[in-house]
Amino acid sequence: MSGQSIHTNDSVHNYGPFPPAARPVEPVGIGLRYPHYKEVLETDLELGWLEVHPENYFGGGAHRHFLSEARKQYNLSLHAVGLSLGSDEPVAQEHLRGFKELIDIYQPFNVSDHASWSASGNAHLNDLLPLPYTQESLDKLARNVETTQEYFGRKILVENPSTYLAFEGNEMHEDVFMNRIAEMTGCGILLDLNNIYVQAHNHGYDAWSYINTIDAHHVGEMHLAGHIEQEADDGVILVDTHSRPVKGDVWDLYKHAVRKVGVVPTLIEWDSDIPDLKTLVGEADKARAIIADIEAEGMAHAAE
Amino acid sequence: MQLSEYQNRFKDLMLDHPDVLDAPPEDLAAFCKSGDIALPTRLKVYRNNIVGSLTDMLKATFPITQALVGEKFFETMARSFILQNPPAKGVLSHYGEGMDEFIASYTPAKPLPYLTDIAAYEISKNHSYHAADDAPLTAAQLAVIPPEELQDMQITLRAHVFLIHSKYPLTSIEEFCMENDADKALDLDQGGEHLMVFRRNLDVEVAVIGQGEFEFLQQISNGASLGEAMEQVLSEFADFNIQDVLQKHLVLETFRAL
Repeated sequence: MSGQSIHTNDSVHNYGPFPPAARPVEPVGIGLRYPHYKEVLETDLELGWLEVHPENYFGGGAHRHFLSEARKQYNLSLHAVGLSLGSDEPVAQEHLRGFKELIDIYQPFNVSDHASWSASGNAHLNDLLPLPYTQESLDKLARNVETTQEYFGRKILVENPSTYLAFEGNEMHEDVFMNRIAEMTGCGILLDLNNIYVQAHNHGYDAWSYINTIDAHHVGEMHLAGHIEQEADDGVILVDTHSRPVKGDVWDLYKHAVRKVGVVPTLIEWDSDIPDLKTLVGEADKARAIIADIEAEGMAHAAE
Repeated sequence: MQLSEYQNRFKDLMLDHPDVLDAPPEDLAAFCKSGDIALPTRLKVYRNNIVGSLTDMLKATFPITQALVGEKFFETMARSFILQNPPAKGVLSHYGEGMDEFIASYTPAKPLPYLTDIAAYEISKNHSYHAADDAPLTAAQLAVIPPEELQDMQITLRAHVFLIHSKYPLTSIEEFCMENDADKALDLDQGGEHLMVFRRNLDVEVAVIGQGEFEFLQQISNGASLGEAMEQVLSEFADFNIQDVLQKHLVLETFRAL
């Protein structure tokens, strides 16, 4: 695809619908972000797929032209941040409508959001806020996941969040909470290894045991990202900033998860201090190498 | 504590004065767990995520406003805006709408009377970028309209076209800010501007347009027929040439397809 074709006149947007997506053959993808729009379209990359936040493409506009061009070349995962599935309130109809329009046009292979909340009353706080892990939260989350799946006519994935705060009233651990939501609604689990790592530090639990507890057959996608260590008077808190390369410990956790769960589409997320495309694709190459190694181990075992 | 109460209280806390995070309400504190790392440290991560990400978004939407007041001033102003006007929904492409009115009532910005118009100009640019796609009216479509029907025709502007009038020279201010050349002086009294903000080839552009032309586009975007708009403009601007203006805007693809 030449760069020229991107610069079509923006008169009529007559892209799509694209043919339905199969699960990508190449398992590793990257987030498509504004600074890389043109380069991703003009470079031949060894990538299985691209991920975007649907919220950035609601209602049309210039962004959508780039997404349409990208979708011609790559499989797509729509990873939402705005459904606020964990809110006490029902999911906003307007949000469901905007999201469904994109699903119909772009035919993503996966659709997802988080086990967290953002909206309360008249405010939508722009962050993934923590839920108490109680039966009440589970029921409310399940209701919103079900509404969403019914509206979309398809299964969604729900991601384990990064949290910095836990609750006295927790009735179960997050790993069990994630399994339960999948059992109750038929949704899949989007397993974010960096989020597990960050929380294991922030709340003092064992990240490996979390992965062992997750029911492997629910996992439909994995995410990897970088975090920062934030110094406070009373210790270090890890913050999931998506602003750095994936840490070595998180790669180890990823290896463990791939061995346990098998190969699923895996995303490298990088959302602030966005590096050059080469660096980002380099992270994807690392994930691919890990998958190749583990697959080779499996073959060696089978041959024994 | 029920989920609804927790979410409501937590939201209020996030939008409250920053000092409150150091001593959160007792019942909310009892509901949360702290451990080695104390509750205020944990709450501040969320507060920083919320205010920080929205501030970054506002910086991206209002680069000229920020250049005029400086980063520190802008960040303080942005925080006040955010706490008073948190997003109302999960789509943030238009977040920052209302910044112009906010600035108009923001006392520290009073010495810069043009700031409100600059913010409105930047809001238009953002809206133009995100505006829905629609097809343009072409000369060929117009050519088949019988001449006697042209008078009564209503045509409208495309979704990405915005008209801005200011008594300040907005594009000169913009140029001055973006060049950042200390040796250059800006004459704020050089007169105002009539602007059309629009999207071409996926980029937002701005054109300085004539006063009659501005008036004409304004009239038709308010629903006047071509004949009414022309009559109105001619009464004020005797030298207004409808042929030239139509021709120009057919080329710029300003009008929406019939």
